[in-house]
Amino acid sequence: MESLRKILPHKTGSTPAVLFASAVAVTALFLFPKFVQNTYVLHIMILIFLNILMGSSWNILGGYTGQYSVGHAAYFGVGAYTTLMLMQVRHIPPWYGVWAGMAAALVVAIIIGATCFRLRGPYFVLASIAVTEILRVVALNLKDVTNGAEGILATELPVLSIHGTVITNFFSKVPFYYAGLVFVLLIIVVTWIVQRSKLGYYFQAIREDQDAASSLGINITFFKNTALAISAVFTSLAGSLYGMYVGFIDPPTVLGLELSVQIVLICIIGGIGTISGPVVGATVLVPLSEALRSNLITEELIKSGFVNAGSRTGVFLTENLAHAHVLIYGILVVIVILFMPEGIVGFMKKLFAIKKKESA
Amino acid sequence: MTIFFQALISGILIGGAYALVGIGLTIIFGVMRIINFAHGELLMLGMYATYYLFTLLHIDPFVSILATIPLMFVYGGFVQKVFINRVLGALPQNQILLTIGLGLVMSNTIMLAFTSDYKILSTSYSSSSVTLAGMSISVPLAMSFLITMCITAALYWFLIRTDMGQAIRATAQDREAAQLMGINVKRMSIIAFGLGTSLAGTAGALIAPTYYIFPQVGGVFTLKAFVITVLGGMGSVVGATLGGVLIGIAESVGGVYFGSGWKEVVVYTLFLLVLLFKPSGLMGKSRM
Amino acid sequence: MAMLEIKNVSRFFGGLAANSNISFSLEEGTIMGLIGPNGAGKTTLFNCITGYYAPSRGDILFRGQRMNGLRPDKICKLGMARTWQIVRPLAKMSVLDNVMVGALLRTNSLNTARELAREQLKVVRLDSKATSLAGGLPIGERKKLEMARVLATQPSLLLLDEVMGGLSPTESEEIIQLVLNIKKSGITQMVIEHQMRAIMRISNRIVVLSSGEKLAEGTPQEVANNRAVIDAYLGEFRA
Repeated sequence: MESLRKILPHKTGSTPAVLFASAVAVTALFLFPKFVQNTYVLHIMILIFLNILMGSSWNILGGYTGQYSVGHAAYFGVGAYTTLMLMQVRHIPPWYGVWAGMAAALVVAIIIGATCFRLRGPYFVLASIAVTEILRVVALNLKDVTNGAEGILATELPVLSIHGTVITNFFSKVPFYYAGLVFVLLIIVVTWIVQRSKLGYYFQAIREDQDAASSLGINITFFKNTALAISAVFTSLAGSLYGMYVGFIDPPTVLGLELSVQIVLICIIGGIGTISGPVVGATVLVPLSEALRSNLITEELIKSGFVNAGSRTGVFLTENLAHAHVLIYGILVVIVILFMPEGIVGFMKKLFAIKKKESA
Repeated sequence: MTIFFQALISGILIGGAYALVGIGLTIIFGVMRIINFAHGELLMLGMYATYYLFTLLHIDPFVSILATIPLMFVYGGFVQKVFINRVLGALPQNQILLTIGLGLVMSNTIMLAFTSDYKILSTSYSSSSVTLAGMSISVPLAMSFLITMCITAALYWFLIRTDMGQAIRATAQDREAAQLMGINVKRMSIIAFGLGTSLAGTAGALIAPTYYIFPQVGGVFTLKAFVITVLGGMGSVVGATLGGVLIGIAESVGGVYFGSGWKEVVVYTLFLLVLLFKPSGLMGKSRM
Repeated sequence: MAMLEIKNVSRFFGGLAANSNISFSLEEGTIMGLIGPNGAGKTTLFNCITGYYAPSRGDILFRGQRMNGLRPDKICKLGMARTWQIVRPLAKMSVLDNVMVGALLRTNSLNTARELAREQLKVVRLDSKATSLAGGLPIGERKKLEMARVLATQPSLLLLDEVMGGLSPTESEEIIQLVLNIKKSGITQMVIEHQMRAIMRISNRIVVLSSGEKLAEGTPQEVANNRAVIDAYLGEFRA
């Protein structure tokens, strides 16, 4: 037990208790579809996985390295389009297509890194937005390649079989659930490795003070680009999975500014620069927006008698709350930035620190 | 060749409105060092205000700006006091995110209130044009350009000749020094944001007769505003004026030669080039 | 061969000559003091030497190798490290992590870096604060942290920019002892400082800058008695 203690990192969140709890949680998640067959619940879980993947990927560049890209839809869209186009046009199965998507995202990342990293702070933010907008308009205009505004419909999902035995034909949600779960575990492990390695230290040094980091022998350009590469590759993975799961992509959805903002939001609300931040952020955002979208909240308000279904408020809510999820995003951002800039996780940490001091 | 000049003229005319948007953004940045991502939404609000003043009260857009200007100023002051003021000392990333959030709230509230349907403000002269030297000039665009010139002239006069204008410039140049000289920098921030909002709203009012009006129209203008301010130099009113006209021209001419689907790419590429090669812009930093 | 050679270095900003035709050399194992009034160009020279600007003219040679235009991180890797006049702690990281960032220059193992960092913290007597956040330290400890961090990069030449600025006499004394101990360990140092007594005590040689030019060079005694230096900067100073 002692030797186990020695090789484990000393940071909070990695005590044996936490690891054990994580192992239990992961096992439970793997067994989940065996016990829960409700397709809507599975759908929510898949969306949560996707959002965790997107947020955690961004976190490596934004949270740890301090480079706030508000153009991450670029990698998401490139992954989605590459995978889907290869599948529809060339009938290349997506489990090969995602690699092409990741390679394409890597190329885009190299170009963006080479051009935009010399810009600091807000200028970098602006450049990242401009680049992704260019990509979106290009996708919109190159109709012969991307189908333009009509988007791409994923109709040619092949059957996954190994040595002749069919594993899945992707009709049910379960394979997507497991794909999402595996990808999430992957990005969490990657984040954990980054955090407890030289990379993590160097990334954070760059975030804290770029010039100081440079004076300590850190090659800023190299490490920023490394962070971007890791971030881009996993974001593209999310894009590919999204494309295959939802079955339809078009430029505003997968290359739009709204998506880029949503990606940043997951981390901001949860807490940047932590492993659990994006997980918390996704777990809060997805159910909330789905509850709004499906009128669950309105129905509950009416059921509980708070609001009369026939009243003007009732009618207004029934018709409109479904479209309000972006409005709620906006309100959440404002509230979090003003009152909880460290995100929910940061806020909780502070709360516990204060409680500790009081009881000490 | 006439096509080129035609595009040039249209570009200059629309460039006037762009200049107003850019000037507003640059004043906000100059005084508060905040990059206002909700700027396009402020323009959008001006558009909607003008639209409803026209459809409900039948006031001509070019007349209703007399009301829109002060209304937007007050709104801007309110937003600054309640929200923006609280993050003046925070990380730039957080400031940007706050303004993004505010922008989302504004555009989506309008969407809930008035639906996403495209609205068109049609006046009797919306599609009329005059012919000058063989080229057709859109009447609403020409009028908006004239008004823009008047407003810009008034703004220059305000900034250079009045005490308050000079106080604003002093705050933009060196906030601490201005404070030490007795200038109420907090009030300057409110006024600057109010001014910026007012200018954006006015630009929206001026282009309302010639643009589709819908809740998300702000986004594109925010980006264009940034291109203009970066091109002209963040904080430089003169730069933003020139930048606005230049972007109007680039967009118009680019649209003619590359097709209207690509004209945004022209603008964004120009933006990236400026950011990469001359980030301080045409006029350099922090000068009003 | 001298550790560091500054040959006719000039640095212009537009029309302003922040450094004008400066030449001197630094012998290994010694301490050189760099003094002069505010605006004399001391920090600009430091920035040229450590790669934040490229000199407009002249050469900077470190162990015979030309350093002009090399990136700051490359220069640090080659063994020349600096501290900052306005300290730059990595605020949201702990004291120990700060020093580890320095130590990681020479090793890829976190455990080795941690040990090296702990040693450096002991040297500057900050080991009791290893887990505190760097951003929460008072100024004296921040300066010590910066020194521990830069020492962890195992430099052969250390440039200290006003490392005693804003410190109490006790704290300054601690820093002086530290500098002398660093000299004992064989590291060459160049020190910008305004505290005259300290500079006179620790320096083997002193270079005086004024208005961008080198005004004088010599031992502390020579410089203290130099008429031009007294007029421009020192006043009637008794060493």
